[in-house]
Amino acid sequence: MWATGRGLGCYRLAVYICFPIFRKTARMRQPLLFLIPVFCGLTASASGYDSGPQGARVLGLGGASTAYINSIASLSTNPGLLGQWADSLTRISIGGMGQIRRASFVGQDTYQRTDQDLVVQPGGYLYATHALNKRVALGLAITTPYGYHTKWPSTWEGRSVIQESQLNTYFVQPTVGIRLNDNFSAGVGFVYAFGKYSQRSALGQYDDQAAQTQLSASGSGFGVNAGLYGRSGDNLSFGISYRSSVQLKMNNGTLTTTGVPARDAGLAPAASAFTTRITMPSTLSVGIADRITKKLLLTFDFSLSGWSSVDSLKLNVAATGNTPARTQSSVRRYEDALSFRVGTEYQVNPKLTVLGGFHYDETPVRDEYINPEFLDANRLGVSAGLSYQLSSRLALEAAYAFDYSQLRTARVAPTNAKVSNVAGTYRMAVNTASVGIAVAF
Amino acid sequence: MKHFSFTLPGRAAYVAATALLLNACAPAQDTPTPTAALNLSRYLAVGDTYTAGVSAGGLTRASQQYSFPNLLAQQFQGISAGAAFTQPLLEAGSGTGYLNFVDFTASGLARTTRVAGQAFRGNLIITPGTCGTPDTTRLLTRAATASALPQNLGIPGITLAQLETVGLGNEVNAKPGTPFNPYFERLLPAADSRTYLQAVTDAAATATFFTYFQGLDDLMPYVRSGGQCGANPAALPSITVMRNNARKVLDRLTAKGQPGVIIRLPALTSLPFLRAGQGLSLQARLQASFGDTARIYIEDPIGLRGAQPITNGDYVLATAIARIGRPTPVVVNGATLMLPYGRDSRNPVRDADVLDNSEELSRIAGVMSSYNNELDRLASTIYKLPILTPSASTSTLDSEVLLFNQVAGTISVAGVQYSSEVVRGNFFSLDYYTLTPRGNGLLANTIIAALNRAYRTKIPAIDVNKLPATAQ
Repeated sequence: MWATGRGLGCYRLAVYICFPIFRKTARMRQPLLFLIPVFCGLTASASGYDSGPQGARVLGLGGASTAYINSIASLSTNPGLLGQWADSLTRISIGGMGQIRRASFVGQDTYQRTDQDLVVQPGGYLYATHALNKRVALGLAITTPYGYHTKWPSTWEGRSVIQESQLNTYFVQPTVGIRLNDNFSAGVGFVYAFGKYSQRSALGQYDDQAAQTQLSASGSGFGVNAGLYGRSGDNLSFGISYRSSVQLKMNNGTLTTTGVPARDAGLAPAASAFTTRITMPSTLSVGIADRITKKLLLTFDFSLSGWSSVDSLKLNVAATGNTPARTQSSVRRYEDALSFRVGTEYQVNPKLTVLGGFHYDETPVRDEYINPEFLDANRLGVSAGLSYQLSSRLALEAAYAFDYSQLRTARVAPTNAKVSNVAGTYRMAVNTASVGIAVAF
Repeated sequence: MKHFSFTLPGRAAYVAATALLLNACAPAQDTPTPTAALNLSRYLAVGDTYTAGVSAGGLTRASQQYSFPNLLAQQFQGISAGAAFTQPLLEAGSGTGYLNFVDFTASGLARTTRVAGQAFRGNLIITPGTCGTPDTTRLLTRAATASALPQNLGIPGITLAQLETVGLGNEVNAKPGTPFNPYFERLLPAADSRTYLQAVTDAAATATFFTYFQGLDDLMPYVRSGGQCGANPAALPSITVMRNNARKVLDRLTAKGQPGVIIRLPALTSLPFLRAGQGLSLQARLQASFGDTARIYIEDPIGLRGAQPITNGDYVLATAIARIGRPTPVVVNGATLMLPYGRDSRNPVRDADVLDNSEELSRIAGVMSSYNNELDRLASTIYKLPILTPSASTSTLDSEVLLFNQVAGTISVAGVQYSSEVVRGNFFSLDYYTLTPRGNGLLANTIIAALNRAYRTKIPAIDVNKLPATAQ
């Protein structure tokens, strides 16, 4: 059910999204037109190793923040919002996040269940905005938008495929926002990204339980983020944004092996250097925010992530001693993925605002390439949060989101000896929590 | 500023934090409940070297514990409580002696040493004139199970032709010129003259399930001698005897309608004893190792011409590969020259060191396919067993299609590669013929997968990568 008809569904959604935008943009002057080809070029979009909405308040809102101006954390989603904060206040929002992404596995033939070890993937955010004048505002966003930490018990069935894998990214985005008129603003940000990747797996061909191969690398890359925000009347607003893909160029990788018997020392040197490239996908988001009553706000977002730019993980391993240079490749072949988000915000009293959200994230991982290194699946999520005004300038924000995935079945053809994988079924749950403060002065 | 107390938002945060902790458990998944529609409470394994659990050229207590029937029985025990499986275990130690890996030569050949055995009794008995089998034999320590037959009736070296040989396991026959099998002798009480067929009949009386994997040991002597068993075509194993005797054994095993698995023999060329010396690939390896372009020549099997270049259908025996290219004295036109063995047309590989395509391999392969086809026929039409090999539509378990041929092309099992290369391939042991514990685990898993398909059982497979790479 999940898999079949999915391609068609994405196509329909893409048409559905493209079409109304086109009408809207035609009505409201042209700054958006350049985005249309980009937008419609993507077939579908978000999930994968996206670590979720970057900010406590937007997390509580389920991430539907492309047209949401009540938190400057929306800056990383849509720089176009920045112009809306071109008032006399300087705003700062800072907080921490923690994500537990955990899956269980049942071997296709062994019937053995293995649960991933519990690990918390830490994250955090810092946002600051300051207006230069009534038209131009500057902003800074430091976020951890992509990352995961997969840790399997070191003796599990697939230990020779993967034991542990971790990716951490840090995005720094200086942004300029311009208020075009009372109803429209646009913004553009420059993204500098830094990332670290590490992995370890057992060399199960040897009896030595400690025989292992480990790799780690870090690197950086650049990208841009641009967006637009508009309002029609007091109650309805919309936003659209595009963040380019970012390729982390990792040139300092080290690949080490331990526990290799002397007879194979030439095949697996103790240490070699390697280079690799890891791509973070482009993201295109459109969102609507509708103020139903004075106290109740509803937001909707669609986003498309260009995961198809992630084709394979290639390690270009340099020659060491008598071992010639080689390329280790594991195929990913991700496809573009879509996510749909709904959020609501209700002001209980002047101090307390509660938030709720619902989202559906499509996975970029195809059935044929389900791999325990990074497990992902279509998932449904709910979120809740609050913002409590401790004083007129300081607000405390907290949110929690829970995602539950569909069951995924990995099938493996042993005769395809180049593919290192383990056959079985997976189910995953993601818990994300965030706490932060927002200051305006 | 208002004092921050445990008000509604506070409580909400508390609830959220609690939910986070509770949900941090990995999501549940139903695991299949192991079940068997089959009665696996008393499993009987019948066969030869493979079934007995020989590994790296010897039988030891450890190698017996990693025999495929024992690995299979352990999986059966997980679902059929109280199911026991008895094996004629040797005392812990070096057993009958085995091969140990030393290192790789420059050309990539595995060098081994032989560890002496200790499970012997009595003196060495010289039995010359046997074809392709050891020309010495020695009595082994009697099995503790001798009073009642074990459930693993695998006898190394037993042939179907010896099925009804009276006294095959009687010590009085341990002398030159008489058929005798010390591995069978140690299973029986002293001075017992039962034939192997009688032993199978006795053991089958209480069995509820069987595996039958026999016949390779009938063919291997011919292969090991390079087709040179007394230069006599009659030295080929008799097709008729093999087929008839297989039926006799299987009739006993299925006498009460017991279900079981009849294993079709794998192709001889999938075994590294031949595959490691496949003509052109061996030639290419040697050319790379010597850094020249010399071809390999073999003796013309018919004897019309002196030597002919090796083809990819000719197989140099694994026991001879190390000697190829070493200078040996040859008399050419009255003068004795030192010429590289096999790598000069004047010093071709002797017929005893190669199984050539045109004569020997086709003959022995013909015997095997005739025997295998008989097994197929018996399984489907006589014993009415379900289809065990869907791709070949046979009611036998086609070990070639389901396992050996796949391993020959390299397979990946949960991230670990298995191939027919000895040592690094982790499937075949150092004797180029028998399996490692992991190879036995893969064979057991192939049987489990076939049972699960055919009988809709849910028998869990073995995590083979957890088994040791060598039995000793």
